[in-house]
Amino acid sequence: MVTLVLGGSGSGKSAIAESMLEEIKDVEVKYYLATMQVYDEDAQRKVNRHRELRRGKGFRTIEQPRDILQALDQMDPSRLGESAVLLECMSNLAANEMFGKDVRPADEVVRNIVQGIRILRNRVRHLIIVSNNVFEDGVRYDPATTAYMDALGKINCVLASESDEVTEVVAGIPVILKKERGKK
Amino acid sequence: MELFIGGHAQGKLAYVMQTHKEEALDVIEGDKEDLRKGHDGKRPVLSHFHLWFRKCLEEGSDPETKIQNWIQENPDSIIISDEIGNGIVPTEQKERDYRERLGRIQIELAKRAERVERVICGIGQRLK
Repeated sequence: MVTLVLGGSGSGKSAIAESMLEEIKDVEVKYYLATMQVYDEDAQRKVNRHRELRRGKGFRTIEQPRDILQALDQMDPSRLGESAVLLECMSNLAANEMFGKDVRPADEVVRNIVQGIRILRNRVRHLIIVSNNVFEDGVRYDPATTAYMDALGKINCVLASESDEVTEVVAGIPVILKKERGKK
Repeated sequence: MELFIGGHAQGKLAYVMQTHKEEALDVIEGDKEDLRKGHDGKRPVLSHFHLWFRKCLEEGSDPETKIQNWIQENPDSIIISDEIGNGIVPTEQKERDYRERLGRIQIELAKRAERVERVICGIGQRLK
């Protein structure tokens, strides 16, 4: 089962996604895939706040800022099928893939991430993906940022179409955009 | 308390006026004036909450406490705020704080509100 959780900054999307992970009962292991790279004080504050949110919930944290499939190497192979994974979040993963050591074109980033997610979701029982709604501020950005927005928008659309559930978080309230019935 | 959120220029105030036309409302223009007491028995509407919040941040005052106290005194109030978090996170720290803190207080207000609506193109979507 794949769930996509969308929201803007400060919308409360992480708290909702984490409570979804907490509520999953039919797995033995719960992984938290953290994609944020800590490059400044603000990022560190965010990481600390999220660590505090996760405290005592029994999630195993894997730091994986890019090449998401490598996270599989850090998971227990014998219990992959009994695992739930929360990936937080796609906007950082896409940025890290795109603006890493060298700048990569948007379509390549989209292709790699979508392929990675498809493999990951077939190996684990539940996958929850947090992504960011960065598309509604009406600002025209420079070409690099626009290319990034195109990539993330495309990724969100593909993931949404392939997810069983899509939820948007608005002011801490989950709004269901898609829910397929009869899926476990 | 009721909370109405939505993008810029989506007709939020007009929507509130329309949906509360049976009531006498006292609109506070958050972009021009501070919170005040005494509304002549009318129901207070705090419009442009996000701009009031931003001004408080710029002045270094504590808008989270101020608004919570104000709601305590005005439990029937209506708060209208722009959604500003659905964009590329800016590099400037002040702008980041504004988005983050406004988002967080909106969550708190939504928890406290008995009614939350998002207004898009003048159409209300009831969230709570």
